[in-house]
Amino acid sequence: MEGRRATAEGRLYACEADESRPMTEFLEVLRYREVLWNLVRRNLKVRYKNSVLGFAWSLLNPLMQIGVWYFVFKILFQHGEPNFMPFLIIGFLPWLFFSQTVLDSTACVTQEMPLVKKAYFPRSILPLSALISNLIHLGLAFVVVFALFAIWGVSVNIHYLWVIPATILVAIFAYGLSGILAAWSVFYADVKFIVGNLIGLWFFLTPVLYPLWQVLGKTIDQPSNWLEWLLKDNLPRLKQLFLLDPISIAVEGYRSALLHGGENFIRVSAGPKLTEAQAAALQVSLRHDYPLLPYVIGAAVIAIATAIIGQIFFQRKADLFAEQG
Amino acid sequence: MTVIDAQNVCKRYRRPHVKAHTVKEAMLAFLRGDRGYDEFWALNDVSFKVEAGESIGLIGPNGSGKSTMLGIVARVLKPTSGAVSVKGRICPLLELGTGFHPDLSGRENVFLNASLLGLSHKETIACYDSIVDFAEIADFMDAPVKTYSTGMVIRLGFSVAVHVDPDILLIDEVLGVGDEHFQHKSLDRLLDFKKQGKTLFVVSHSLSSILDVCDRAIWLDRGRIVKDEAAEEVVTKYKLAVWAWEQSLAEAKARNAPAL
Repeated sequence: MEGRRATAEGRLYACEADESRPMTEFLEVLRYREVLWNLVRRNLKVRYKNSVLGFAWSLLNPLMQIGVWYFVFKILFQHGEPNFMPFLIIGFLPWLFFSQTVLDSTACVTQEMPLVKKAYFPRSILPLSALISNLIHLGLAFVVVFALFAIWGVSVNIHYLWVIPATILVAIFAYGLSGILAAWSVFYADVKFIVGNLIGLWFFLTPVLYPLWQVLGKTIDQPSNWLEWLLKDNLPRLKQLFLLDPISIAVEGYRSALLHGGENFIRVSAGPKLTEAQAAALQVSLRHDYPLLPYVIGAAVIAIATAIIGQIFFQRKADLFAEQG
Repeated sequence: MTVIDAQNVCKRYRRPHVKAHTVKEAMLAFLRGDRGYDEFWALNDVSFKVEAGESIGLIGPNGSGKSTMLGIVARVLKPTSGAVSVKGRICPLLELGTGFHPDLSGRENVFLNASLLGLSHKETIACYDSIVDFAEIADFMDAPVKTYSTGMVIRLGFSVAVHVDPDILLIDEVLGVGDEHFQHKSLDRLLDFKKQGKTLFVVSHSLSSILDVCDRAIWLDRGRIVKDEAAEEVVTKYKLAVWAWEQSLAEAKARNAPAL
């Protein structure tokens, strides 16, 4: 048989009792990249198989969801941000990417169990394929968003690029959680039920339906020195947790990049313009700037730490996958 | 050239006790110092070498560690101690179209499965016609696999695996699948493999197919090697041992039966 052999060509491998291999795993994934692409392709094809509209559902589904929220909050409760529709759509994108990735990869190993028990391939390929498939879904959603922007007459600007670091932040964090949850759910079926419910809670703790400043409440003037500002404990600790959640940061990052011209990526996006009387009544100061940069860094550190822990956990458990069930 | 070298391979499994159903039971179990599992050795100090071009059969009663050994050679399981080194492209023969997705077409599944077994996209394109030909289901390649009969799935799965062109083919109880005609065809294919100097590593309870395919057999019992010799001899001795064991069972039963 002519041609290039992609994998395992004439190479010696040893299967020993104690061999740890963070770097080898990376090389193995590279070697098996064709499997990865095939799995991604399969994930994309299979998700909406048997539905008449097929792939269109990956866009229609979130749009209909947003339509429901718009109806409930804007029309029934007469509540919500000005420009509520774009506000919702933009905030929902990173959340949808995150939650789908986590849910998909929680099931990714258990679904492939028959294969895992018979054939060798680097196990990291499974959560990776879930992550990449959802990245592609996110990319498609962007096409729709930009189409809507064109209709609304929003001009494209360079600040849109802030979306890229925000997406990377979510991807790293989601991949870390995926590793832990995928491995764990092989041993305990309970994990997938718990994850489903926690994701439901997490959604409300993420500023998708509301702006972040509403949680942070009364705002403080822009400080001259961030370090000093942090040490002065201006925000209650519990509220700081919102600012350390990589998903919250990404949601705000998406909004500031796409709706506020990137101005506020390192600050929480401004609330509505209020008159002084309104502001006094709401106990909200007219300035809504929070110095976010330390929190962005904090969230990035959390995301990277999660990814490292998740990867190590997954690697350590991967050798036991085939013994289960 | 040695292609598979197993040295002092041991594999320990945990056999879980029946799970506690209530909080009370769980607490009582905890107080008794019940760890919730027993340990047992599925493989205990197993060593053997396989030379290139040899075909080896693993035989033994249920629970003797055959599939565990195969899993370790396939790199799916890790030994608790000891080491296995394998040289060359290795391919497990998956039963019943393992890894096939019911909603994808036969064609899509062939490409996915072939890549999992180590074939590149180009190689798969090159031997695609031959795969379809061997499975004899050309008319169904664009239909979703869920519309296939069991036999068609088996044929397609087998066909992909034998086209991967491995140096070592691992076979776990998948000889004698499909109808009579396909069984002959797959056996011929395996014998072709042997002629080409490839290595076969077979686990089977069907002693006749072991005799058909293998030159050498390893008899495992409770995780230890009992015999490792030419296939005919091992199979004969194994049959004798099983026969003797059944005799002693029958005798014991006769002794314990109340005399009428």
